[in-house]
Amino acid sequence: MTASPAELIFQSSARALTAPWLAERRARANEVFEREGVPNRRIEDWKYTDLKQALEAANGIAPGRVEFAVAGLPSGAELVDFARLAEAPDWVRQHLGKSAAAQSIPAASLAFGESGFALRIPKGLKAKEPVSVQFSGGSGHARALIVLEDRAELAVEETPSTARFSNLGVEIVVGPGSRMTLLRFADAAPDSIQLEDIAVRVARDGEFRAHLVNGGAAPARLNLRLTLREPGASALLSGASVLGGHAHADVTTEIYHASGETRSVQLFKKVIGGTARGVYQGKITVAQGANGSDSRQTAKALLLENGAEADLKPELEILADDVKCAHGAAVGDLDTEALFYLRSRGVPESEARNLLVRAFLEDALLLIEDERLRAKAWAKVERAVASQTGAVA
Amino acid sequence: MKTRSHETAPALEIRDLHVRVGGQEILRGLTLSLRAGEVHAIMGPNGSGKSTLSYALAGREGYEITSGTIRYRGEDLSTLPPEVRAAKGVFLAMQYPVEIPGVTTLTFLKTALNAQRRARGEAELDALNVLKHVRAKAAQLKVSEEMLRRPINVGFSGGEKKRLEILQMQVLEPSLAILDETDSGLDIDALKLVATGVNAMRRHDRAMLVITHYQRLLEHIVPDRVHVLLKGRIAAEGGKELALELEKRGYEKVVPA
Repeated sequence: MTASPAELIFQSSARALTAPWLAERRARANEVFEREGVPNRRIEDWKYTDLKQALEAANGIAPGRVEFAVAGLPSGAELVDFARLAEAPDWVRQHLGKSAAAQSIPAASLAFGESGFALRIPKGLKAKEPVSVQFSGGSGHARALIVLEDRAELAVEETPSTARFSNLGVEIVVGPGSRMTLLRFADAAPDSIQLEDIAVRVARDGEFRAHLVNGGAAPARLNLRLTLREPGASALLSGASVLGGHAHADVTTEIYHASGETRSVQLFKKVIGGTARGVYQGKITVAQGANGSDSRQTAKALLLENGAEADLKPELEILADDVKCAHGAAVGDLDTEALFYLRSRGVPESEARNLLVRAFLEDALLLIEDERLRAKAWAKVERAVASQTGAVA
Repeated sequence: MKTRSHETAPALEIRDLHVRVGGQEILRGLTLSLRAGEVHAIMGPNGSGKSTLSYALAGREGYEITSGTIRYRGEDLSTLPPEVRAAKGVFLAMQYPVEIPGVTTLTFLKTALNAQRRARGEAELDALNVLKHVRAKAAQLKVSEEMLRRPINVGFSGGEKKRLEILQMQVLEPSLAILDETDSGLDIDALKLVATGVNAMRRHDRAMLVITHYQRLLEHIVPDRVHVLLKGRIAAEGGKELALELEKRGYEKVVPA
């Protein structure tokens, strides 16, 4: 298949990640991408985010190499750079690329990725400070793997690349009784196409938390595919997006309750101004026999201007009998009565708007347990809110 | 502050006010004046324009002044945004106080108080001083500490909401208070509590406009003057005894068409 100029970025180069043990997985990923290609809006799952069109509008992106910086590793943790993939230890060989072939975008990051790393938190190690992972460099694909063995704890603070194009494929393995928290802070990147696929597997009594603060890109698409494999496994996903200008932010989550006695919570809030577009697609699947599963999903959007758009799409597929599932989605404007009430008490309009928008986002941010990270998330959100409401941050 | 109210000049002077709401003229030449230190009542049947008057005074969007003037302490209010009117001392206790999830009452009071102080060039108060200021007043109105920490009006009963309106008035200390049907939905005990709160605010330098449907409230907040609002204009005026007469004989008999 010959790629169009817009799709030049989806090609394998001589610098691609290779190792004999990875060859078969890469070949499969290649096949999947060749077959499915770059998603456009006729693909149901990409209905609201036409990647093909975005690439065409970007008018050719020069391929480069994604750089990454990992800082704040706790002692005892193991970091493997994929530059030396051939000598990778067993735990990398066991997991890397296993979940890549499911869809074309994660398949592309495995097939075309030129850089990446793997991080292992050994059994019983509880990292006190968050590990920071920053992506930068040129346009391209990269992979990351994070493995938490039994009863380990880790928080990762991720900053995505603001290169013109980035496609990151992340795999996270949460071992029995382990807790993993991912905080992803993405500032507005109006000139970037930002793709990320995060595939998570959670074992017995493990917990995965993700908190996404998203400013949007052109477009930004985050896929979070999560499997709760065994009883006691749980997931909590929250997001606070503040979008302005022409930003486009798509968060698509798929939660698979593979086992009974598993829990998941998803709470996503979007504030959308300008001609920005916020998308949330949330699919919950409860497998046959996964009785005692409990899943709650809420997605709400607040539109600040006429040109703003929100697309919220909850989807439930329940194959078990005894489950608790609740979901709700709502799109609204800023409450003009509340605005007048505040102003009539002397609160200036921009401050009143600011107060209402903050109140709207608050519950999604309160779910961040670590106080310092919560404060950091608030600071990011407040700056973005102020730029939308005209208030002084 | 440039202007100070003159003892005898009207604090609020409304002349030939015409207001349209949603394309329909509701106020049709309303004229009214009120001096500092006075409490005036506006009585009128449903649909006479009572709430339109209160919103037009507070500056709500969609209440379009097509002609006439609203002067407060000599200054034209009609083009000023609501927050600027508030900082100049205008306060509207609303008939239907708004619920605002996610913003606690205390945060709201602090934000409002400091925004007004800032607008007047006064120093802002810190959280502790706001709390002290609010607490003393809240206790008298039976507004609990717990209510102050809940989101504004969310889950409050009708009586609690009205008490909170009066508390806001006491905290913000306006020089012109407009009370829009503050008695609606109150039982007699709540009514007394609210009336006591309002009476405590009566001062030589503060004017109050009490808008009501019934005479009942005026037994507890005794007005200096009563105006009857009918079809968007003042149809009759008198002393406090006019309220009693309206109650006994009805609007049609007192103010023949």
